Amino acid sequence: MKEVTSLKALKLIVPFILIIASITYMIASWNLPDANLGNGNGPKYFPLGLSIFMLTFSIVYFIQEFRKRDEENEEIREILSGRTPKLIAFTVVAGFIYSLLFERIGFLFSTVLFLGALLFFINGRKKWMTNIIVTICFSTISWYAFSVLLGVSLP
Amino acid sequence: MDISSFMAGLSIAVQPINIIWIILGGFLGTIVGMLPGLGPATAVAVLIPITFGMDPVSAIILMAAIYYGAMYGGSRSSILLNTPGDGSAIAATFDGYPMAKKGQAGQALAISAIASFIGGLIAVIGFVFLAEPLAAFALEFGPAEYFLLMLLTLSAIVALSVGKMVKGFLAMMIGLALSTVGIDTQTGVYRFTMGIPQLSEGIDFLIVIIGVYAIGEVLYNFLNIDDQKKEKKKVGKVWFSKDQWKRSRWPILRSGPIGFLVGVLPGAGGSIASMIGYTTEKQISKKPEEFGEGAPEGLAAPESANNAASVGAMIPLLTMGIPGSGTTAVMLGALIMLGLRPGPLLFQQQPETAWALINSMFLGNIALVIINILLVGVLVKVLDTPAKILYPMIVLLAFIGTYTLSYSTIDFFLLLIFGLFGLMMKVLDIPIAPLVLALIVGVDMEQNFRMAVLSSNGSLGVFFQSGVSITLLILTILSLFYPLIIKLVKRKSDKLSDDEQVYKSS
Repeated sequence: MKEVTSLKALKLIVPFILIIASITYMIASWNLPDANLGNGNGPKYFPLGLSIFMLTFSIVYFIQEFRKRDEENEEIREILSGRTPKLIAFTVVAGFIYSLLFERIGFLFSTVLFLGALLFFINGRKKWMTNIIVTICFSTISWYAFSVLLGVSLP
Repeated sequence: MDISSFMAGLSIAVQPINIIWIILGGFLGTIVGMLPGLGPATAVAVLIPITFGMDPVSAIILMAAIYYGAMYGGSRSSILLNTPGDGSAIAATFDGYPMAKKGQAGQALAISAIASFIGGLIAVIGFVFLAEPLAAFALEFGPAEYFLLMLLTLSAIVALSVGKMVKGFLAMMIGLALSTVGIDTQTGVYRFTMGIPQLSEGIDFLIVIIGVYAIGEVLYNFLNIDDQKKEKKKVGKVWFSKDQWKRSRWPILRSGPIGFLVGVLPGAGGSIASMIGYTTEKQISKKPEEFGEGAPEGLAAPESANNAASVGAMIPLLTMGIPGSGTTAVMLGALIMLGLRPGPLLFQQQPETAWALINSMFLGNIALVIINILLVGVLVKVLDTPAKILYPMIVLLAFIGTYTLSYSTIDFFLLLIFGLFGLMMKVLDIPIAPLVLALIVGVDMEQNFRMAVLSSNGSLGVFFQSGVSITLLILTILSLFYPLIIKLVKRKSDKLSDDEQVYKSS
């Protein structure tokens, strides 16, 4: 029962956030500084007009979803069940840590860690041999391809 | 057609380095396109960094090759695994997969490759004749016409996502809103930068693209990563019988031009072209009952149409600078990054660039048909590589690609945010193409709007002045009624029931 309620809430939360975002965007557009060149309000018109449309459509979307709140959305259920939420969270957190390490410990090191971690988590520990080979080969190849062949300066 | 520019273009396209790019792009594109759930837009987005540092002509040649390669690759996985890479490959599952199940996988792959090849060739010929006149016509456009043309493209792409128009418009508006972040080019006013210096030049659309298409798609594929099918397919000889060729050749020749024309239309693309190709053949066939059971013409027609459409889609991109689909929008983003601005002036100022691309499409089609017939064994091995190994690689490529854009790891955070954003859109069934398209044309759209209004001293009447404007306005309004028309047509014929999923997924 609790799950059903949370699924319903999840369906409505996005349109609700969109309504809030549209209002914020509208206020921010209104408060944009005047331009010193040409028409002072020039930079405001387009965002303001856009925000009005955005708010209208967000409200319509909210109403649509509210009417359909009892319908099942298979994919919302899937995203919350089994291994999926862990996989998504792991990838995002690993990506976050990779971002922090990338410039500190260098491309090759951080990439081996990142790709290795992803492979071990997604592909499973049992296939450790494949994971290690793929990690080392792919990291080295991509390092070579980007920094040597394409001339990208990697840390 | 100007023969000398044509020859100049040909001589650029046949330079050994460009031939290498065509083959490499076709090969890489095929591999990414074969991955279940990943289509041409993802393929181009992930492989964009390869093009940095290249000269723009080679870059566009490479990207086009990746695009076509991904289209070919999408049908490989449709035929062998019944899992289309994206909307335009769905129709290939209808008869391609049954053929493979009957033990005719090799024949199906050959028919699809040859059909794509001929469809592509027909479209390239169409391109040669249509591109220049269209570019010349577009030269007459003022800011008002450009604004309306962009509006039409956006509304068409939203309208084509039948059944989710409200969500489509929201996606488009979010894209436009994101495009307003940064310094306003006309007045120098800082808009919505929230005091973050990195945002003053706007949100880099390539990061958004790589985020939603690469990271978002991979995260989305985690939903069923553990129950993806493991089928070993015996491909056998990749060639078809005389009888199969007899049945396929007319459908191929008929669907090519249809696909090309659909591809040129704004918003429409491979998915719709292939569906129209399929249903047309089914309707005129003497044996419609064989469709869906492995009829070669049911595979040949959509394959020819969708490849022709992917060539056709390059026309609005190159002649007017307006992309008509998610993939071409991604390509436009990359080209702007490289300092090449497609549009009507391209044919006047750099005709050799335009013609080099057209010639490379021709060569690319030849390369792809060879790759797909001769190297099919290697390609099928890629399909055997578990997705669990390939997805982490795609994620890594997305990160490296982002880094090459600005050499800053701050963009990694944006990449992750937009990846999650893309995942959410997929789960809630919000179309992504309108967002990407709007984000890319957004700045131009606003500038053209303001220039038009400025030129008429603040009157909106400027949008009703020329014949072109009025036509574009009428078309925009008509496009909004497209879902209604589809509904009426559907009610009349239940025969089309199997198209439904395609229209929904396009």
